[in-house]
Amino acid sequence: MNWTILHLYPELMSLYGEYANVAVLRRLLEDLGDTVTVKTATFEDTPDFAGVDLVYMGAGTERSQKAVLEDLPRYSAALKKAAAKTTLLLFTGNAMETLGASVTDAGGKVWPGLHLAEFTTVETDRRTPQDVIAASALWEAPAVGFMNKCSVTSGVEKPLFSALSMGFGNDAAGGSEGYAAGNILATHITGPSLVKNPEFLRYVAMRLYEKRGAQLPPLPEDLPWRIHAQRAYEVTYAELSARLGK
Amino acid sequence: MRLILAIVVCKILRRIGKLVGKGSSLPGQYALKICPDVLGQVQLPKHIIAVTGSNGKTSTVEMIAAVLRADGREVVYNAEGSNQIEGVTTLILTHCTLSGKMRGDVLLLESDERYARHSFRYFHPTHFVITNLYRDQLTRNGHSEWVYDAILPAVHPETTLVLNADDPLVACFARDHGPEKVKWFGMEECSISTREHHGVYNDGARCPVCKGRMEYSCYHYAHIGHYRCTRCGHQRPKPDFAVTAVDFNNGTMIIDDHITINLAFRSVYNVYNILAAWSVCSLCGVGERVMADVISSYILKNGRMVRFTLGQHQGTLLTSKHENSVAYDTNLRYIRENEKPCTVVVIVDAISRKYFTGETSWLWDIDFEQLNVPHVQRVFLCGKYVNDLAVRFDFTSLPAEKLVCHESIREAAEELKAAGDENLYVVTCFSDRDKFLSQTQRQQ
Repeated sequence: MNWTILHLYPELMSLYGEYANVAVLRRLLEDLGDTVTVKTATFEDTPDFAGVDLVYMGAGTERSQKAVLEDLPRYSAALKKAAAKTTLLLFTGNAMETLGASVTDAGGKVWPGLHLAEFTTVETDRRTPQDVIAASALWEAPAVGFMNKCSVTSGVEKPLFSALSMGFGNDAAGGSEGYAAGNILATHITGPSLVKNPEFLRYVAMRLYEKRGAQLPPLPEDLPWRIHAQRAYEVTYAELSARLGK
Repeated sequence: MRLILAIVVCKILRRIGKLVGKGSSLPGQYALKICPDVLGQVQLPKHIIAVTGSNGKTSTVEMIAAVLRADGREVVYNAEGSNQIEGVTTLILTHCTLSGKMRGDVLLLESDERYARHSFRYFHPTHFVITNLYRDQLTRNGHSEWVYDAILPAVHPETTLVLNADDPLVACFARDHGPEKVKWFGMEECSISTREHHGVYNDGARCPVCKGRMEYSCYHYAHIGHYRCTRCGHQRPKPDFAVTAVDFNNGTMIIDDHITINLAFRSVYNVYNILAAWSVCSLCGVGERVMADVISSYILKNGRMVRFTLGQHQGTLLTSKHENSVAYDTNLRYIRENEKPCTVVVIVDAISRKYFTGETSWLWDIDFEQLNVPHVQRVFLCGKYVNDLAVRFDFTSLPAEKLVCHESIREAAEELKAAGDENLYVVTCFSDRDKFLSQTQRQQ
């Protein structure tokens, strides 16, 4: 199969190595024998969503996120139209917040979001950086990762993660986290979360195949990068769990 | 009365602390409880120099101290690295008379970038050197703009800012500061400059002021170089102190077209550290000859470069802070440019010696691709996070047969010791380096 991934604002919104989420998804699909085209779009570009299977955006600084929020209206109608049909949206870190109704910055200014979901975000002058263990109903193994945010997101009705045993959720420590509805997957978890969580990666690939009415083929088990990623996950999960006294 | 009591308590606790091997924060902590504004009451020296930034603080401070002392100044500085307000308080009060007058001609402070505003609440530096701001310990620091916002309240209008002109974010500190109170240091385009950006990410791609597209006429490393925003015009200022030539082959750099400095360590970091030290010492009135003589014969004493032997191998450990991709990239560049056959060892076992985190995202910001050169024969990956390293390397073009993975650092050292005589380079952090060095014979 041929796939097209559109990476939005890769220069600004890849603050914690998020570009690797695109790289690892591409590698997985290519190892399945598929062809993958990765396109990028930033402020000077007008993205074309025709034929795009997945739109990805990662984390940025608070100021970078505001620049993005100012820029998104240029093509938000096209993005919404694509998301309403067959394009999957994966937004991680504070890119998730751009999907909601608004982001209120630490100075009290309200920035309208894409309004693809009803939730709202309020930034604070304190960060809550911490390691994360998050359980999702969409795949079995708890996700691990890190969150580096200074905000509270309220009004999420359909979280991606039902509960965090470590970390600060959308609006509370240990609470639910992220957003998953329709064609949208979003989480505040920063960094290359698809690399760190082989099951999350598998789930995203599965969703892409589903969009084409196909089943995800069995994944090759002998690929070194998959073996390393799985072991890395197990070590991190064990390390974080030990902090919880499990 | 509170002032005297605070000074006495601080001195006594410090003396006891030294006897029992305790750190330098506690005495200051007690002194601040007794007299919260003690730092506003003491009489400080004429020159108060503070140095902050993501990288190069300790080296720059040590170099400044060496130069000023050679010029006959009495320098008091926080050599133990206690760079938060409690440690600064201890430092100042232990050097005070009971009347509250601090001894010495210069107070020199390495200042933690996140806590500078607390340290400088009751006094302010006469000179504030800001070396650079980039991705460093993001699990604690958030990101460089967050750090910028944390430093900004510590900048007093009367302070002379000594800023790295080549860092677009650092240059923003001058925006609301009196121009007569800003001095710039920078590197002109020279042998180590490139037209193209090198690295996995480019934090100089967008303007820190308006997020417009930036243009660089040259890069020195990472986002450090000659920049101009195509939208708002934010651009590199003309430096007051400039490196005008660098020759790593012969180990020299030239300042302001006429002063040649010998480089004990041929790294772009070292060049900037020297230039920062040169700039602030010059502003404090030290003559060029004294500065050039001291810096040319200056050997870095911070232990960040350690030579060792392991079996038949001659080795060099290059301390690269975990969670700091620029530090790693600089050391990888050093290895790449030393073209002798070598094996490289990368160790990630404990991400920090000060706190726990399992966060390894920063590995994806390191340009390990630099190791894909013929003279790097093998790359050993070691430590608890060996699999995170391995998957990161799986996404480089390094041939898989060059990679050797060992969770156990000891086993990796034993395998290396048993065979081969090529040079070794070990790249790791303070938190992990002794785990490897303990398997070697360290050279003095």
